[in-house]
Amino acid sequence: MKSTVISIAITVIMIGGVFMLVRSGSEQSGVLPADNVTVADGRQIVELRAKGGYLPEMSVAKAGMPTILRLETSGTFDCSSSVRIRGMDVSRSLPPSGTTDIDLGSPEPGTLRGSCGMGMYPFEIVFEK
Amino acid sequence: MKHVLHVHGMHCKACVLVIESELRENPKISSAHASLKGHSVEIQGEFGDMPLESIARELSRILLKHGYSLEVVRQIRGKKWGDFKVAVPAAIGFLAAFVLLQKAGIVNLVNAGTVTYGTAFLIGIIASLSTCMAVVGGLVLSMSATFAKEGDRVRPQILFHGGRLVSFFVLGGVIGAIGGAFTLNATAIFVLNLLIGAVMLVLGINLLDVFHFAKRFQLTTPKFISRHALGVSKLNHTLTPLLVGIATFFLPCGFTQSMQLYALATGGFSSGALTMLAFAVGTLPVLALISFSSFSIRNGVKAGIFFKTAGLVVMAFAAFNLINGFVVIGLIPPVFDF
Repeated sequence: MKSTVISIAITVIMIGGVFMLVRSGSEQSGVLPADNVTVADGRQIVELRAKGGYLPEMSVAKAGMPTILRLETSGTFDCSSSVRIRGMDVSRSLPPSGTTDIDLGSPEPGTLRGSCGMGMYPFEIVFEK
Repeated sequence: MKHVLHVHGMHCKACVLVIESELRENPKISSAHASLKGHSVEIQGEFGDMPLESIARELSRILLKHGYSLEVVRQIRGKKWGDFKVAVPAAIGFLAAFVLLQKAGIVNLVNAGTVTYGTAFLIGIIASLSTCMAVVGGLVLSMSATFAKEGDRVRPQILFHGGRLVSFFVLGGVIGAIGGAFTLNATAIFVLNLLIGAVMLVLGINLLDVFHFAKRFQLTTPKFISRHALGVSKLNHTLTPLLVGIATFFLPCGFTQSMQLYALATGGFSSGALTMLAFAVGTLPVLALISFSSFSIRNGVKAGIFFKTAGLVVMAFAAFNLINGFVVIGLIPPVFDF
């Protein structure tokens, strides 16, 4: 019983310690501008922030237009750094920090579903006519 | 004279071999045949007119060091459903803490853009608390609890963690030196997920100690191999944890993979090796805590509760891995979203 209490105490201290230690760094806001889909020079760019999941999780974009998926990473070491898009055979590893462009071609109307390499962080882009 | 004695504390295929080979070394015994199914051993030998109880007592002394005892009466294998009254809330509590940790955004705590050995260590700690815990932690828990149940507490754990640290150091150095990573494609990850999920599910069911049919699929080397191995059951308890420890380098875990990509970019054996080692050392405290939780359990009243809790947690992690595996290949829509 005693060792159980000690183990729990150590766990709590360790987790708390990590939170304290790293919280002191700047806390970035996880909010992207609502219009993460921009059009420039006839190309559509869908921006997502990849860290502990993908933000925004759902985006709406135009179909039938050359589209680039731009993934931003900053200190991303978790699962979201390996992106998979089903049906498009996309499987990319992102650098810990930086931006990565993935060419999506000119998508048909419909929903594009992607997730991280292990499947627990999903995202989707709805392409509308 | 032929006698049949009941063996208490018999769990595994290897137990059969240990019991048989130990008993055969006794000069009084001419033959010994143990049965895992009946938890009994049939012995033939010259005991004069010793009563069965004394024979059992005498032979128990030989087997005690392995954790078995021989009795005249059959061991009552109570399923102890009452244990679940504690085990179910404990498992739910543990899983709730796990989910809460993910929801709290533990992975967002990494802010470093550049990786020093210090940050690699810190990332290791965070990784061990992230969803990677479902894979590596689940495997550690299922393995350590299974070995503890068979009476082997310390050595398999040390071999596992030792194998893990050494493989991260060596393989980290290799990818740093050759500049190529061992990245797995979607199919390989799916197969791995499926395999890990299945192994964990079976081990979890075994830990519950309710369904005895699953014993057949236990994590053991086949009898015909271990019979020819020198140390009878040693192979299973030595090689398995060591190999699993080494294999954790390749397990599907986002953190491990991005650290590998970083180690590869460092472009040298020592920097790659040290980065991966620092990461593995960071994961060690939590993993060691998981594996040594079964270490503190002696064969007491609490043991049943512990093994059932561990079984439930392992099964939940197995389901998590299997579901995520199906999500990645697009068979089912995403279920979890942390």
